[in-house]
Amino acid sequence: MPESLAPAAGVSQNQPSPVRPRTGPRLGRRTGRIPAGAGPRDRRDFRATAWGYLFVLPALLVFGVWTIFPTFYTFYISLWHWNEFDISLSKYVGLANYRQLFQQGDPSFLDAFGHSLYFTVGMVLGGTAIALGFALLVQRGGRLLALSRLGFYLPHATPLIASSLVWGMIFDPRFGLLNYGLDKLHLPTSQWLYSPGSSMPAVIVYSLWHEVGFITLVFIGGLAVISDEYGEAARVDGCGPWREFWYITWPQLRPVTTFVVLITTIGSLQAFTQFYELRGAGNSTVTLSLLIFLNADGQSPTLGYAAAAATVLFAITVLFSLVRRRTSVGGGAVAS
Amino acid sequence: MTLPLTSRASSRGHKLRGGAPRRGSGGPVGAWRGWTWTRRLVALLLAAAFLVPFYWVFVISVQPGTTISSWPLNLVPQWHWANYSRAWDLDTWPRYFANTVFVAACTVALCLVTSVLAGFAFGVLRFRGKKVLMGLILSVLMVPTVTLIVPDFVIANELHLLNTYWVQILPFGSSVFGIFLVRQFFLTMPQEIMDAAAVDGAGRLRILWHIGVPAVRPALLLIGINVFVASWNSFLWPQVMVTDPSKQPIEVGLASFTTDNGTDWSAMSAAVCFTTLPIMLVFLLLQRQFIRGAMTAAGSVK
Repeated sequence: MPESLAPAAGVSQNQPSPVRPRTGPRLGRRTGRIPAGAGPRDRRDFRATAWGYLFVLPALLVFGVWTIFPTFYTFYISLWHWNEFDISLSKYVGLANYRQLFQQGDPSFLDAFGHSLYFTVGMVLGGTAIALGFALLVQRGGRLLALSRLGFYLPHATPLIASSLVWGMIFDPRFGLLNYGLDKLHLPTSQWLYSPGSSMPAVIVYSLWHEVGFITLVFIGGLAVISDEYGEAARVDGCGPWREFWYITWPQLRPVTTFVVLITTIGSLQAFTQFYELRGAGNSTVTLSLLIFLNADGQSPTLGYAAAAATVLFAITVLFSLVRRRTSVGGGAVAS
Repeated sequence: MTLPLTSRASSRGHKLRGGAPRRGSGGPVGAWRGWTWTRRLVALLLAAAFLVPFYWVFVISVQPGTTISSWPLNLVPQWHWANYSRAWDLDTWPRYFANTVFVAACTVALCLVTSVLAGFAFGVLRFRGKKVLMGLILSVLMVPTVTLIVPDFVIANELHLLNTYWVQILPFGSSVFGIFLVRQFFLTMPQEIMDAAAVDGAGRLRILWHIGVPAVRPALLLIGINVFVASWNSFLWPQVMVTDPSKQPIEVGLASFTTDNGTDWSAMSAAVCFTTLPIMLVFLLLQRQFIRGAMTAAGSVK
């Protein structure tokens, strides 16, 4: 983000803003009384203006009320035994909600944290590897490859609720397509969402199906801007495709890969809908976001607990976002 | 696995090629040609595998009966369309659709206004604290929606906005991506024309409306599409904030429909098909813009 921001900000700063004459009195608009180049009566530039605040205000109001203030408010709520029906009945409990995070629960916060990590690692490793393979496979090329690109991307356009419902049926132990196919191929079948061991892999498979097309596009974008000169030189010297990828293409893709890893990490930590919809028996797919949701649904008296969990999730996300900021600056330097 | 040396591959996207093109230099090209077809075949097969869930949900939606009761599974469509009318009659779908379109349209309108105004301020105007404000807006990206559920529920409750359209529109009425995109468009366009208009005495709002908005129209299209689809697909937010079915959007309706009719796979699949078809059509019609939007979002903001 900053690598594209920094130069842009620079542009806006360095933009020569020679004093542009502006018609002074408002009454004199559209009269064209001031010939261009003539000595300006009002030496103010129309850009330099406090109007800027007014123009930014609507957007800032939306973010302020629904995002920026609530972020601090979450922390505040997390210090209370919150009563949402009558806030005056809320009780200040200090860090008790945070202590409760580390206690046994069904499911406990630590379990949910573990599940979030499991999912994130699966998505990052699987998503990066598969999408990179796909990108190398379908980059550039003619109509057939463009069609394949569209095929990979189409799942990403489906609403999560609708497509995870379909995958719920695919994973159905008795009448699902997956077990049927495995049986036909004489491979072992599984309970998928209904077994603690296979439920998270199943959700990861669904999520990869949904996200890989998008990540592939990002990689294709990265491949499009790297130079083919080195690769060509290597091929002339008799370098095989595998070695060319490993020593020439892959290093040049490093900034893009870093970027993909970080956005996938942040996105996976926040993922919610598929866990809501594909929850089989038990809690083996209850992640942090689902835990927050389950404790914030209005009926339960655990809003303070949910807020504490949300604060922790927020802290983790900020951490990764800061890492992203640092690395993309570094990445930008490497790329340019 | 690497790019083949076909003329098509080498003729695209290579700005840094120095000397004369090596097209038709013989040697390796012939050897690569077989690989080109293998590559196409593998890509098509993989893409087809990705489309299997689309096919299967359609097959179930037109199967006779409500459930699957035995193997072997039906793998070809039976054209039993009655499931669609049954699913349609089981819930208030027109209402869900109307709610979704209304909320999405209002969100898009609000987002366009806030993005154009803020994008203009950040891209064209100069004022004290501009950088700080831009940084503040960009930092909004770090906040996960899930963590906002708790405080925003309390806030919406205090403002008596639960179970309204407002709570589905207002919180999404501004987009970091949108502001950023409009700003980039302004930074890359020749701004002298605005200065000329200012010289001629046009006010800032007039400049924005008559010169700025037409100039950033492609950005507005991208923002509109992305916000519309995001609004259509939203689930967590309305699921928490809106419990009144007459105000709920389509995805929440679909989720509750399947909770109530989970054993009726045919109706469930039919509902998945007819609720998803409109947004898929939007996607297919505008896929070019979509993909560009995804790339822009990936490249610049997200």
